[in-house]
Amino acid sequence: MATQHSRAAARIMIAPSVVLLLAWMLIPLGMTLYFSFLRYNLLMPGNNPFVGFENYAYFVTDPAFQAAIVNTLLLVGGILLITVVGGIGLAVLLDQPMWGTGIVRIMVISPFFVMPTVSALVWKNMFMNPVNGLFAYIADVLGMQPFDFLTQAPLASIIGIVSWQWLPFATLILLTAMQSLDSEQLEAAEMDGASAWSRFYHIKLPHLSRAITVVILIQTIFLLSIFAEILVTTNGGPGTASTNLTYLVYAESLLRFDVGTGSAGGVIAIILANIVAIFLMRMIGKNLDA
Amino acid sequence: MGRITLDQVQKKFGDVEVIPPLDLTIEDGEFVVFVGPSGCGKSTLLRLIAGLEDVSGGEIRIDGKPATDLPPAKRGLAMVFQSYALYPHMTVRKNITFPLKMAGMSEEEKKRRVDHAAEVLNLTDYLDRRPGQLSGGQRQRVAIGRAIVREPAAFLFDEPLSNLDAALRVGMRLEISELHERLATTMIYVTHDQVEAMTMADKIVVLRKGHIEQVGSPLELYRTPRNLFVAGFIGSPTMNLIDGDEAGNHEAQTIGIRPEHISVGDGPWQGTVGVSEHLGSDTFFHVHDTGLAETITVRAPGEVEHRAGDTIRLAPQMDKLHRFGSDGLRIA
Ligand SMILES: Nc1ncnc2c1ncn2[C@@H]1O[C@H](COP(=O)(O)OP(=O)(O)O)[C@@H](O)[C@H]1O
Ligand SMILES: [Mg+2]
Repeated sequence: MATQHSRAAARIMIAPSVVLLLAWMLIPLGMTLYFSFLRYNLLMPGNNPFVGFENYAYFVTDPAFQAAIVNTLLLVGGILLITVVGGIGLAVLLDQPMWGTGIVRIMVISPFFVMPTVSALVWKNMFMNPVNGLFAYIADVLGMQPFDFLTQAPLASIIGIVSWQWLPFATLILLTAMQSLDSEQLEAAEMDGASAWSRFYHIKLPHLSRAITVVILIQTIFLLSIFAEILVTTNGGPGTASTNLTYLVYAESLLRFDVGTGSAGGVIAIILANIVAIFLMRMIGKNLDA
Repeated sequence: MGRITLDQVQKKFGDVEVIPPLDLTIEDGEFVVFVGPSGCGKSTLLRLIAGLEDVSGGEIRIDGKPATDLPPAKRGLAMVFQSYALYPHMTVRKNITFPLKMAGMSEEEKKRRVDHAAEVLNLTDYLDRRPGQLSGGQRQRVAIGRAIVREPAAFLFDEPLSNLDAALRVGMRLEISELHERLATTMIYVTHDQVEAMTMADKIVVLRKGHIEQVGSPLELYRTPRNLFVAGFIGSPTMNLIDGDEAGNHEAQTIGIRPEHISVGDGPWQGTVGVSEHLGSDTFFHVHDTGLAETITVRAPGEVEHRAGDTIRLAPQMDKLHRFGSDGLRIA
C-alpha cells in the first residue's frame, strides 16, 4: 500500500465497514447521551423534558454511587491481583516438564469455557450455600460454624468466583509467554550462579512483564463491567455491599424504569473506565513499547 | 587453574547414545577446540562439562576434584552461548555484573571488575545500553565480558561466532585468541568450522558421532590425519582422496593428497580443467577426467590462468602423500 493510488483505493474499499462500525457505535452512544439529559421514566409517561445535568447530579449524589465506585475498584483490583499472581504461579508450574502436562493444562483452561451465569450459580448453590454447599459440609466435618459467604462476605465471594473464571485466561497468556523464553538465557543464569528464585525474579519475571501488562489491560476492560455474577448471586446486596457501577446502572434504569438516570450512570461509567484506562496506560503501558 | 579430565564420560538421550564413553584430558591454560560436523555431539559434550546436562556414565574432574555431581555454578566455569543469551531487559553493565551479584560480591569489587572487563572488551561506551541496541559483535563481547568477570577456571564457547558475518568473524577470532594469550585460562571452544579450529587451537579434538577421531595440534592433524575422516575434514580445500589402481600402486586402499601439494606442470597425472576459482593469492582448479577420482582439486599459488577445457598435467609431491588402509586408518 505504498502508492497514492493504492492508498486511495484502500480507503474506498474499507469505507463501508468503517461507516457501519461508526454507526454501530455512535448511534447507541449518542442515544445514551441524549437520554441522559432527559427526564425519562417509563413509569411516568409524559413529554420527557430536557433537564440538563439533573440526572447526573441525582446519580452521583445517590449514596449507592460511592459504594458502587469503591466496590468496582475493589472488584477489579482484587481479581487482577489474584489472577496475575495465581496466573504467574500456575504458568511457572505448568512450564515444568512433568507427567500428564497435557491433561493438566486442559483442566486449568476449562473454567474459562463455563458461562459466567452458570459458574456463579454453581458456586452459589454447590459450594458457598451455608446449608447444602461443599464448604458448609467441610466446616461441618471440621466442627466449625458454616460460613454464609454471600451474606457475610459478598464482595470477597464474588471476587473469588470471578477470579476462578479469569485465572485460566491469565495462566494461558502467561504460560505462552513463559514458553517463549529462550532456554539458553536460563542456562546462562544457572551458570552465573543464580538460584531458582533468582532465575525467576531476574529472568522469568521481567520476560513476562509484557504479557502481564496485556493480561491486566484486557482483564480490566472486562472486569469493569462484571454483571452476571452479581445478578445471580447477591443481587448487589446485602444493601449495596456488592453493587458495582454496572449493577447500579441496571438497578437505576431497569429496576426503577428510569431511563434518564440509567443513561447518565452509563455515561459516568464510560468516563470512569476511560480514567482507569489512562491510569493503567501511564503506569504499565511502557512495557508494551519496543 | 583449569585442568579438566573426562573419564569414560557417556551421554544418552533416552535410548540414543549421543556420546559413547570417551576419555579426554584438557590441560590447564590450553585452548582446546572441539570440531566436527553438525550434530556430532560437540555441544552435548560441552554442556556435560558445563553441568547443563547430566552424564549417563563416567566421571568429570576439574583440577583433580570430582565435578560430576556439582551444579553448573559450582564448577567455576563460564560459558558463552551461541545465541549470546544476554538478558534483554538489563543494561550491558547489569548483564556483566549479574554473575558477580549472584555471588554476593561487594559494590566496589563489582564495579572494579566490570569496568576492567568493559575496558578490555571496548565496551565502556555501551555500558548503559540494552543488548537490543548493540550490534552482533558488541553483543558477543558483552557475553564474553559476562564470562570473564567471574574469573573462571575455564571458558566454554559454543559456536560463538556463527551468528556473525564473515569479516566480523575473523576479527572476533583474533580477539578471542588474544584474550586467551592475556588470560592464559583454559578455553574449550566448539565449532563446526575447521578454519576456526586450525587458526585458534592449541589442541583440536575431532569428533564424529560422539567418537573422538583424533586429538592433536593443528599441524599434527594437518600432517598426519589418523584416518580418512580427519583427512577429509581438516584442510581447505579438502584433501583429494583417490581409490583404485593409483592407490594400489602405493600399497594402500586410498591415497590422499592435499590440493596445495599438487603442482601444475610436468607430472604423471593429466586432466581437463573445469571450474577455476581465483582468490588472487591462490588459484584453485577443479580438474576432471584424470582417471583417478571424479575431481582433483589443485591449488596453484598466485594468479594462474587456465581455461575450462584446457588439458593440464599435474605433479603430486610424493612425499606429502597420505596412505590409508581398507579400515580407513592411516598407514604409517
Ligand atoms: N535434549 C536432547 N534430547 C534428545 N536428543 C538430543 C538433545 N540434545 C541433543 N540431542 C541430539 O544429540 C546429537 C548431538 O547434538 P549436539 O551436541 O547439539 O550436536 P552439535 O553441537 O555437534 O551440532 C544430535 O543428534 C541431537 O539431535
Ligand atoms: Mg551445537
